[in-house]
Amino acid sequence: MPKETRNPKLEPQPDAAASDFGVRPSFGFRNSTFGFFHRHSRELSVAAALGLLLLFLAVAAPAFYQPQPLLSLLTREAPALVVACGMALVIIGRQIDISVGSQFAACSVCAGLLTAMNWPLALVLPASVALGASMGALNGALVAGLRLPSIVVTLATMVAWREGLRWLRQGQFVNLPDGVQWFGLSQTTGQQTLIIVALVLLVLMAVAMQHIAAGRFVYAVGSDAEAARLAGIRPQRVTFSTFVLLGAFVGLAAMMNVVQSPQVDPNSGAGLELKAIAAVVVGGVAISGGRGSLWGTCVGLLLLACVNPALTHLHVEAYWEKAMQGSVILLAVVADGLRTRKER
Amino acid sequence: MSNSYPTSKSDGWKFILLRHETVLLLVLAFEWFYFNSIGPRFGTLDNTFDMVRHSVEIGLLALVMTPIILTGGIDLSVGSLLGLCAILFGKLWRDAGLPIPLAMACTLGIGAVAGGLNALLITWLQLPPLIVTLGSYSLFRGLAEAITRGVDTFTNFPPSFLVLGQERLLGVPAQAPVFIVIAIGIWLLVHRTTFGRSFRAIGFAPDGARYAGIPVERRVALVYVLAGVVAALAAVIYTARLGQARADAGTGYELFAITAVVLGGTSIFGGTGSVHGTLLGVASIAVLSNGLVHARQPREVAGLLTGVLLIFALGSSALAKLLATLRARRQTVPTNIQSKQMP
Repeated sequence: MPKETRNPKLEPQPDAAASDFGVRPSFGFRNSTFGFFHRHSRELSVAAALGLLLLFLAVAAPAFYQPQPLLSLLTREAPALVVACGMALVIIGRQIDISVGSQFAACSVCAGLLTAMNWPLALVLPASVALGASMGALNGALVAGLRLPSIVVTLATMVAWREGLRWLRQGQFVNLPDGVQWFGLSQTTGQQTLIIVALVLLVLMAVAMQHIAAGRFVYAVGSDAEAARLAGIRPQRVTFSTFVLLGAFVGLAAMMNVVQSPQVDPNSGAGLELKAIAAVVVGGVAISGGRGSLWGTCVGLLLLACVNPALTHLHVEAYWEKAMQGSVILLAVVADGLRTRKER
Repeated sequence: MSNSYPTSKSDGWKFILLRHETVLLLVLAFEWFYFNSIGPRFGTLDNTFDMVRHSVEIGLLALVMTPIILTGGIDLSVGSLLGLCAILFGKLWRDAGLPIPLAMACTLGIGAVAGGLNALLITWLQLPPLIVTLGSYSLFRGLAEAITRGVDTFTNFPPSFLVLGQERLLGVPAQAPVFIVIAIGIWLLVHRTTFGRSFRAIGFAPDGARYAGIPVERRVALVYVLAGVVAALAAVIYTARLGQARADAGTGYELFAITAVVLGGTSIFGGTGSVHGTLLGVASIAVLSNGLVHARQPREVAGLLTGVLLIFALGSSALAKLLATLRARRQTVPTNIQSKQMP
């Protein structure tokens, strides 16, 4: 059973209180089935909400479950899942990055231009990932090296990349050559490939975050950077790496987006940062760092992805999407706030 | 977020602030002469008034952002709130048929409620301001888009209302007196009242401020509500200047406001800063974006440069702080050891 690092400030300490009175804490609690539910209550409640939503869709809109639209929906969300995995890392490390949408656009346009110059995909993919990683490294250097608040740094880079791209490209689309869309495969195979890539990445990252020392370091730094430093971890390096990793994921996601259409939109990725942050926060990662899992993030993203079809079925117009995203973020943090308030 | 703040260096900080504002003045003068030499029409009175007109809304947002950042918070939702208030103002006037003054008052009320929402979540639930205002950033803009369905705009406001944004009053742009009154009000609040001093105390150390008897929650709530009201006022002025209210009004203004505040020497971690610094920051951004238009550069360059400017301003102050702590550590090694032994 994987242990979970928790923020001691936010957690009740029943053992300490009980031992003051000579009462031993109940044995087996941590390892029992109930313990599992208790520890993952947040992820499970989101999963339950997703289950209810899927049930509602099954009753109200059975068309949702036809294989082709479902596959398209999952393919659309696959790049967002990759970005959300990286975002979860950064938020668990107690930082935030709101420049991912602009990074995504820059990587997409770069990948599009390179493929238009007839580079093979095997070279374009590393180039896109490297561009993303270097933009992430800039954020990371400013946040970790100069100890600036990540929200302001990434606000600045968000606007700088976006406006710089607009200036260079003047909003032109990039036309891709034949054979790039779906990697030259059939559409269904291409879609399945993208989904599998995203899922493999999710599983790898989730397992790494639970079981590999580097993953635990991120939790440690997010819980308490000073304590982590005293324990021999270098918090600044961990923070820097999470930003670089997020940038690399954004580069990969941009590539996954580019192969889905015959053109590259220079405005792609607008609002991606809010989508990723919403998925992470809804999925139970504490915005104050050190708590949460990537499984929750995946469930949160699926929940958000299914909200739109449900809204369409309820005849709510698409204009409400942004407002929905905002209120979902607010609701999720309010739920977290109420929980910690109760525990205090 | 780091809170490794040097505590016993008020003299050094005064020095840095002083230097900061003089540097900013020099930059401003340089910008002025440079653009004056490029664009023949840049230095005229007409263009100066034009600049004032275009920067009043951002200036208002930067003015109320200053106390927020002084308390160690941030408000990313002001630009979106400006858009939402502009839409609702148009809606109240055109669809609900309210007279303009009443619609204005209602808009200010809506701004207060929206600011109150931020304040409630930040103080009652102790949530970090950045995620709360990021959520409301999306919520407010989304509401504005949903209400207008993305296409509806409000135009044909009566000329008596457009005076506020487009005409001159006593020889200056009509919105300038409003801005000056608000600026003086906020300057007095921040620099000449115990209220304003408590903002800095909260920014330095919220717990310390609480032990000193400051009602931290109420003061923090006040600055966010104030931001909501002034953002609504900025929305009204924006509508009067352009003669139309649209859902995308004020997109990206939060960046300009935060940049102006940080350029003006306010520490992004809270605790130190000044309103007059913010005013200088607003002026330098306004001159830059106006001057770039006269230098025939595309609009995107202004946004790009603002982002770069923000990073440089933050980076240089962080570097100065880092160097100052290093120097202090080198000079006062014995005292440091002594103070560590004390309980």
